[in-house]
Amino acid sequence: MAERPEDLNLPNAVITRIIKEALPDGVNISKEARSAISRAASVFVLYATSCANNFAMKGKRKTLNASDVLSAMEEMEFQRFITPLKEALEAYRREQKGKKEASEQKKRDKDKKTDSEEQDRSRDEDNDEDEEKLEEEEQNEEEEVDN
Amino acid sequence: MAAAAAGSGTPREEEGPGGEVAASQPQAPTSGPGARLSRLPLARVKALVKADPDVTLAGQEAIFVLARAAELFVETIAKDAYCCAQQGKRKTLQRRDLDNAIEAVDEFAFLEGTLD
Repeated sequence: MAERPEDLNLPNAVITRIIKEALPDGVNISKEARSAISRAASVFVLYATSCANNFAMKGKRKTLNASDVLSAMEEMEFQRFITPLKEALEAYRREQKGKKEASEQKKRDKDKKTDSEEQDRSRDEDNDEDEEKLEEEEQNEEEEVDN
Repeated sequence: MAAAAAGSGTPREEEGPGGEVAASQPQAPTSGPGARLSRLPLARVKALVKADPDVTLAGQEAIFVLARAAELFVETIAKDAYCCAQQGKRKTLQRRDLDNAIEAVDEFAFLEGTLD
């Protein structure tokens, strides 16, 4: 038998967990049904990838992006996935951004540790005057990020 | 006074650590806000995407959305298959329930002939 890309299966344990959480308590699933669902999930990914790739090619792009995948969902008649996927994508973007900012912040904190503590105290006392200071600080932060 | 069971608000430290602590802090390992955005490993999904000869590159976000979509798909097909099992008053999903779901639901038509 020729090698089929469907052999690239997703981990059984994860598939099983997703299935069990989707179904009511006390419901079981036979091994055959579970492995069939696992294969179906792989086929789904392959099919979605192919659809998404068509959209990317239409846009003359060589890299698949998230909106290509969302367009593919619509094409495959899985519109009901689109809203939860968009929400997940936003959360994912925030998390990625958070990770990036966290590592940059660590570097900055090492340099500016004592300075930031003093500024925090003055913010609590005089909010009005410090708005101007905050704007300046934000501009400074933007400059650092660009570097 | 009466040794009432764990109160609704005030934690009683007098009873020691043996008292019920479950009220205020659920320590269930499953819940985690934002901790599990996708359960499927992105590396495996990426391997599937790369298996397509027409695909040159795929962005990280695209892989993530595909992984999440696959999860939603698994949930959906499991629930649809369960409806069939329920009608047969069974509590175990069988392969035939899946086949029935695939035949019955239009969106699953792409699966026909692929699972054998």
